Amino acid sequence: MSDTIFDVDRITLRFGGVVSLNDVTLHQNRGEILAVIGPNGAGKTSLFNSLTGVYQPQEGTITFVGSDGKPMNVIGKKAHRVSTAGVARTFQASRMFSALTAFENIKIGAESHRGIGVLGAMLRGPATRRDEHTSDERTVQLLDFVGLRAKANVISSSLSYGDRRRLEIARGLATSPQVLLLDEPAAGTNPSEKLELTALIRKVRDEMGVSILLIEHDMKLVMSLAERLYVLNFGSVIAEGTPEEIRANDKVIEAYLGSTASETGDRS
Amino acid sequence: MKRYFANTHFKRLMSSVAAMAILELMTGPPGSALDPTAGFTGSFGEASSFFGLFRTQRWVVFLFIAFIMFGLWTSWLTWGAQVKTATTKAMSVPRSVSHKQPVRWGVTLVLLVVALLLPHLITDPFWQAAMVEQIAVYVLLALGLNVVVGFAGLLDLGFVAFYAIGAYTTAWVTGALPTAAPFGIHFNNFYAIPIAIGLAMGAGIILGAPTLRLRGDYLAIVTLGFGEIITIFANNLYGITGGSQGTKTIPHFSLHVGPVKYLWGLTPVPYYYLTIVFVILFLIGFRLLEHSRVGRAWTAIREDEVAAESVGINPLKYKVMAFAIGASTAGFAGVVTASQSNTIFPSSFTLQFSINILVLVIFGGMGSITGVVLGAIVIQTGSMYLLHTPPAGYQPQDLYIYLGALLVVMMIFRPAGLVPSRRRHREIGLAEAGEGHMDEVLTGDTP
Repeated sequence: MSDTIFDVDRITLRFGGVVSLNDVTLHQNRGEILAVIGPNGAGKTSLFNSLTGVYQPQEGTITFVGSDGKPMNVIGKKAHRVSTAGVARTFQASRMFSALTAFENIKIGAESHRGIGVLGAMLRGPATRRDEHTSDERTVQLLDFVGLRAKANVISSSLSYGDRRRLEIARGLATSPQVLLLDEPAAGTNPSEKLELTALIRKVRDEMGVSILLIEHDMKLVMSLAERLYVLNFGSVIAEGTPEEIRANDKVIEAYLGSTASETGDRS
Repeated sequence: MKRYFANTHFKRLMSSVAAMAILELMTGPPGSALDPTAGFTGSFGEASSFFGLFRTQRWVVFLFIAFIMFGLWTSWLTWGAQVKTATTKAMSVPRSVSHKQPVRWGVTLVLLVVALLLPHLITDPFWQAAMVEQIAVYVLLALGLNVVVGFAGLLDLGFVAFYAIGAYTTAWVTGALPTAAPFGIHFNNFYAIPIAIGLAMGAGIILGAPTLRLRGDYLAIVTLGFGEIITIFANNLYGITGGSQGTKTIPHFSLHVGPVKYLWGLTPVPYYYLTIVFVILFLIGFRLLEHSRVGRAWTAIREDEVAAESVGINPLKYKVMAFAIGASTAGFAGVVTASQSNTIFPSSFTLQFSINILVLVIFGGMGSITGVVLGAIVIQTGSMYLLHTPPAGYQPQDLYIYLGALLVVMMIFRPAGLVPSRRRHREIGLAEAGEGHMDEVLTGDTP
């Protein structure tokens, strides 16, 4: 249980003069449900983008350990390479292939790791057909897993917000990841959907053995789900620990609830 | 005045009159240097027959048509909804039938037989030549560009370059250029097919790999530049391409296998069959490609490149692939044209040509194979008809006025094309509702 999946060592990400992430160190164990919290603009999504190869931090290293046990440096890799290595993600504002059905959305995830094979596709040989069959089966499995089987042929943009979130999770899982990064999965969902989502995320970890790294604003959800938390503020990690420890941490309370007038003066 | 325009009926009437005035100008006589206003005054004031009933001036006829248009428009607004529901009701039965597999195969078979019998049904030499040069070849080109524009969502304005590469390769391989043929052997045109396809594909990859990182407008400009470069090369590399004179000595296709000896070129018909065979092959190939994981990956990239990358799709690889496939189709079309006409000139490979093909794709329905084929057939047949039997007052250069007007009308009433692709149709609908990411071709920018 205690082997590493993500090891982020002192990364700094700058956009010109703006420092988005400052000397961030983070560690995730395999099979862990880890959460990153922090106020708006703390750098949570920048962290996610750095972990998935979308942004390239200028300093530090990000090591991802895939299923083969070989460590890989994420920095310098393209997003699709990182995905192929076993890192799946969802987006803050869910990004579906909106003109495609739920089924097609997941299927794209399920088959994207295979080679291109234009000729195979044009000739439609037995190997292509077998591949297609495997992806179809996997897609149906995942639709069942997230409870969207009945909506398989619904165009994804006409799904409800909660369903879209689940579809995005299924699409991520279709790539057979080692770790799933969830960027505010509960944003915009109603209380009952939130409960279902919590159960689903736990099920992903328990039944599929996929580690979870999540960003979330809903404290109730985070505290009930996460085993360990990191708190970001102004691009730096200000606290790390179990939900109980974080709840009692003064710095965290200050970051969330604001500080007294004299302290604010100090900071500026 | 403002009060009048607040009245929707008045507004509709004025719009009808304005539309007819534009049509009047479009169809009217041209002006000249001596009398620059003649085009204007003539368009309205020229004598005309009122539907064969009595003699009058053009404006009377067009005003009459404007009133009819106003009447139709108003009645459409009043009863249109009812008509629409009635037609969908009537159409719903055949639609459920048309989705059945045997019916589809039947329709395909009938179309195939018609395509094969066509040269025997139409024996006019003008149309037989047009069927090859202007229709079948353009169908092929539209199919190829559809892979780039429709499937992968990349705006390619230099498509002509690959067509030119195909044509010049044919001339080179068969020894018709000033430069020596490969190994000094004058190959048969059939050898030109794989070489031209290979070279066009290679050019597509070389151009695509560095430039397909660009998005939308930038890509369009780079491809446009590439198209121009190829034309200028063809024009100026006198010792290699024959310069602006081109070449006139490209042989026809010929087949010598054992006792079988066959020479194409006596009539256009054998070329028609040769082209049709390849059109069918490309059609089947592209159809399978569209519904394969390659096709789905293209759709994913078109809709949301960031999300596509996040599930492990390498956008650059798939875009280059679309580009190369499109290029190779154009390369093949170049072989057919060069062999059939025996001649190539740099002046036939212009930006206008690339845009023409793009018009076929947009008109037919980007991303829809059926649509693109139909679009190419309809537009090319239409323009050939106008060339063959021009109506009174029609000049060949007027063609583009009508094509432009057709596109404008099309974009207003049927933006997804004649036979829209189901996915594209949805994308346009979503984008109009302000949802989802539409690709660069239509919006000019991506998030």
